[in-house]
Amino acid sequence: MSTGSETTAQARPRVLVIDDSPDVHRLLKARLKQEELEIVSSESGESGLEELKKSRPDLVLLDLDMPTMDGFEVLRAIKDNADTVHIPVIVLSGLANAEDKVAAFDLGAHDYIIKPFEFTELRVRIRAALRLNFLLRMLSQRAQIDGLTGLWNRAYFDRRVQDEVSRVQRHDGALSIAFFDADHFKSINDTFGHPAGDAVLQGLGQIIQRDSRQSDIACRYGGEEFVLIMPSTGPEDALAFCDRLRQNVEAVVWPRHPERKVTVSIGVAGASSVVGLSAAAWVEAADKCLYTAKKTGRNKVVVSDLRTGEKPAAEQPPLRKAG
Amino acid sequence: MQTSGKVEPLRSCFAGDADMVELVQEFVQELPGRAQTLAQLMQAAQLDDLRRAAHQLKGAAGGYGFPTISESAGTLEKMLHGATQNQASELQARVNELVALCNRAVAA
Repeated sequence: MSTGSETTAQARPRVLVIDDSPDVHRLLKARLKQEELEIVSSESGESGLEELKKSRPDLVLLDLDMPTMDGFEVLRAIKDNADTVHIPVIVLSGLANAEDKVAAFDLGAHDYIIKPFEFTELRVRIRAALRLNFLLRMLSQRAQIDGLTGLWNRAYFDRRVQDEVSRVQRHDGALSIAFFDADHFKSINDTFGHPAGDAVLQGLGQIIQRDSRQSDIACRYGGEEFVLIMPSTGPEDALAFCDRLRQNVEAVVWPRHPERKVTVSIGVAGASSVVGLSAAAWVEAADKCLYTAKKTGRNKVVVSDLRTGEKPAAEQPPLRKAG
Repeated sequence: MQTSGKVEPLRSCFAGDADMVELVQEFVQELPGRAQTLAQLMQAAQLDDLRRAAHQLKGAAGGYGFPTISESAGTLEKMLHGATQNQASELQARVNELVALCNRAVAA
């Protein structure tokens, strides 16, 4: 599953060099030998963009003056793509005029080096770009992770749910969103203390993370509420999955209070094909289902199929009730 | 076109650089071939290709530690931006100069 627990640091930073001159590739490899870098070479703008998708480099060194697709076009393509916009690009150019420099920085270049380059300078500029990028990524990841559970946090969820909802609008896919809420959580805190309550939240986070698929996005919404975005999943599959998860939670024996089970209520809003609803409407629908689950006995899953407009009434028949 | 007598060899600024020894050797070996290509492109009046070759030689020669060749290639490249056949003799002189410089390069 994809959460921020992925490490930001790689053993050796990967640098993609896009330059039509074979000499530049040879020289850079020799000159950067000491730098502990993995260097990938492309000799045209077109092949460079292909390579970029494949090898996901930490830094790109990009020549401006190349036949057919020039460096400006490549830079524009890198910065127009949400998947690659964060990769820093150092422009290499034989042209020292201010106009080109300004154009490159306007397009999002990180730095600009005039060829033929002074290699000591190039090395320190590469180091500076990699260091800055590493810190930026660490910072942005920290800011998106919930400190207690290690799941994505609310801010990340708010952004990601927008992305996923607009993705299904464009590509007509399935999507489900599930809200989880620990039942009677306050009484766990009151009875066993806040450390026990924290342990429950961490445990729930682990179960959701463990049971969900690679493509699912598990977030802590706030308090004792969690939310799972399930791309490519219609409401029926989401219901089956969430009910298994509900049972798994119920089966846990908690070390701090073995006598006290923890149960969750779950509300799911899903659609197996495109519906013209905003992200806010999806979230609201899932939240309503959660409310219904709470109102009608807890420890259950209530689902709403947004495509058929079926109301939260399409709920999972109460299989088992919490004790 | 070349004056008779001893021709001063051009040495790479990186002659003593362990990282570069092999690369400089390789580059110097290739240089006469590159020079020939430049001369042929000039003869065939393929000015776009000549400009590109000059551009690449400018960068490469600089990188391998031959600033004189790099500068000469740069001058040729600049002239070729918007050059016409009218300037053929001037271009030819530049190409000759660059070819001569290339032939003077030695590895160490």
